[in-house]
Amino acid sequence: MTPEKPFGLIIEDDPDLSNIFSEAVHAAGFETEFVLNGRAALERLHGVTPNLVILDLHLPEVSGKDILEYIRSEPRFEKTIVVIATADAIMGESLRDDADFVLIKPITFAQLRDMSARLKPVA
Amino acid sequence: MRERLIRFSNLLLDVSAADPDDARRRKLLNVILIGTGSLNFLVLITLLSISIIGRQSVLDGNAWAGAIGLLLGIFLFAWGNRRPSLPGWAVSGTFLVFLLILFMFVDTPEQMAGGRSLFVFTIPIIMASLLLYPAASFIFAGLSALEIWYLAEKAGALYNTFAAIGFFLVALVSWLSARNREQALREVRAINKELDQRVVERTRELSEALRRESEQSSQRQAILQGIADGVMVFDTQGKVILTNPALIRLLELPLDKILNRNLAEVLQSTKISDEERDLILRSVGYNQATLAPIRVKWGVRTLSIISAPVRDQKGRAIGHVAVMRDFTREAEVEQMKNAFVAMVSHELRTPLNAILGYSEMLRDGFYGAVNEKQSNAADRILSNSSRLLNIVSDLLDQARIEAGKLKFDYKLFHTSDLTDNLHSVMDKLARDKGLELTSRIDANMPEQIIGDSHRLQQVLVNLVNNAVKFTDKGTVDVHIYKVNERHWGFDVTDTGQGIAPDDQKHIFDPFRQLEGTVTRSHGGIGLGLAIVKRLVELMGGQIFLKSVVGQGSTFTIILPFEPPRQEEKEGEK
Repeated sequence: MTPEKPFGLIIEDDPDLSNIFSEAVHAAGFETEFVLNGRAALERLHGVTPNLVILDLHLPEVSGKDILEYIRSEPRFEKTIVVIATADAIMGESLRDDADFVLIKPITFAQLRDMSARLKPVA
Repeated sequence: MRERLIRFSNLLLDVSAADPDDARRRKLLNVILIGTGSLNFLVLITLLSISIIGRQSVLDGNAWAGAIGLLLGIFLFAWGNRRPSLPGWAVSGTFLVFLLILFMFVDTPEQMAGGRSLFVFTIPIIMASLLLYPAASFIFAGLSALEIWYLAEKAGALYNTFAAIGFFLVALVSWLSARNREQALREVRAINKELDQRVVERTRELSEALRRESEQSSQRQAILQGIADGVMVFDTQGKVILTNPALIRLLELPLDKILNRNLAEVLQSTKISDEERDLILRSVGYNQATLAPIRVKWGVRTLSIISAPVRDQKGRAIGHVAVMRDFTREAEVEQMKNAFVAMVSHELRTPLNAILGYSEMLRDGFYGAVNEKQSNAADRILSNSSRLLNIVSDLLDQARIEAGKLKFDYKLFHTSDLTDNLHSVMDKLARDKGLELTSRIDANMPEQIIGDSHRLQQVLVNLVNNAVKFTDKGTVDVHIYKVNERHWGFDVTDTGQGIAPDDQKHIFDPFRQLEGTVTRSHGGIGLGLAIVKRLVELMGGQIFLKSVVGQGSTFTIILPFEPPRQEEKEGEK
């Protein structure tokens, strides 16, 4: 049985960016999925335990900050790496301690791909 | 009592006359008349008393008549002397002639011709020079000489030539002395007149100056009352000595809470925070001008305050003045502008990021093979959207700095993070231009320092980006070193075109790039260096530029070593 690919969840309300981020994480060897709003993201997180979460902060309905809090509060996500991807440098910086990494937009395809590759759990 | 006496004697002696010489002579005549009249009266009373007591008259009938006649004559002259309608000289002249006639009877003609009482003639001669005019003494010398000739003839005695010569000699002496006196008097009068004239002129000048002064002062008062800016003028003791209605309106304080109080007392208000009160007290002070207006919140208002020393003509500070402007509207507009810029920049980033991502994926063949031209086109899209993004980022930073919203996150980090990050971001850009990007960290530089590594990297990348932009060949070198125990710094040196001295002073202004073709060929909106300077200053540092046209430029940043923050100290435990 081939080992399962690691799973990356992209939470980003802009469809184009979700697409690009998904492609980048996918290119790094992850199974990917994306959700476009905060509530959908929380619902999806009830069902899966991603290895990597790319998290935008300004999201409709439920904010990225709340999602981060939820992830950090659940022991199930202990090994989940959260990368914040935001254009809001101030808020991004303020969450630097809670997230594993903070990327300030613009984020290039190669940047996210290479970073995800480094974050891939060793099989 | 004494005053009454003086007033009475003045009433008795003074004779009013328009001409000062006339008045003086009339007064003198008056004195003589009163003197001789009183003497005559006393003698008469005495003789009368003796006669009554002794029951035998000491004088014969003619003598009594003469004495009483003299007294009446004196009264008559005194009366005439006081009448302005009668010319003074006529009264005096008549009086002197009267004296001469009287002298005929004071002694027997024989005795008189013999010389016994000749001295009495000197009296009218001297008086004439004083009462009429100086040369009049000669007339009375002549008349006296005639009189003694007549008396000698009458008595059949020998004419006393020596006496006549003596009369003329006396006349000469009194003429000379009277003339001198009159001359001196005339001079004094001329001087007095000139002095009076001067007093009149000076008085006019003074009243003119006073009028001008009050005119200017009311103009100043009107300006002070009329302007919309609040004004406080302090004396050397720091007390408010002058203010205006606008200030009362701005501070919403009654006049008595401002006037005659020092600044700290005026600022005893709940409308202002302690921090801002301290800022005002630090910035508005004696003998110093605020370089840039300070801005504080006062209740619902935002006030902009400047201050300057007030100096006298010799340049000595004699107090200071503070001017407060209602900046509420401007502050709101500024706030809105900054919020707008921040919002727009933020909103622009997302679509730009998408453009950036797709063009990158296209170029790198993620969606299938592309030919060289397609790859080039994707590359152009990529680099142009990068540029656009940088502009947006700069605008956002500038807006944040202006809004004072920029926060610094001081943490311990590896000094080498700075150069590592720099190379990862800038190497490609430098290589693409055929430049070499080198960096070194001095051995004496601590391995780890405290600072906001993100902002420091922003400063470094901005400077290197700038250096790469303006250098066509050669190297861009970054050198990080320890300046002294309290400071560290870094140099960014390029081998570019250099900056002319005139342009160096404007290089850190926002929205300004050097004039000329450079601007067009390098793009950007000229915020980079302004942001760098602001960031460096906000971190307590300074930026310096050394540049020679044609040889290159060196930007030097000097920053303080930050002491460990509280939480880090705790973390070390």
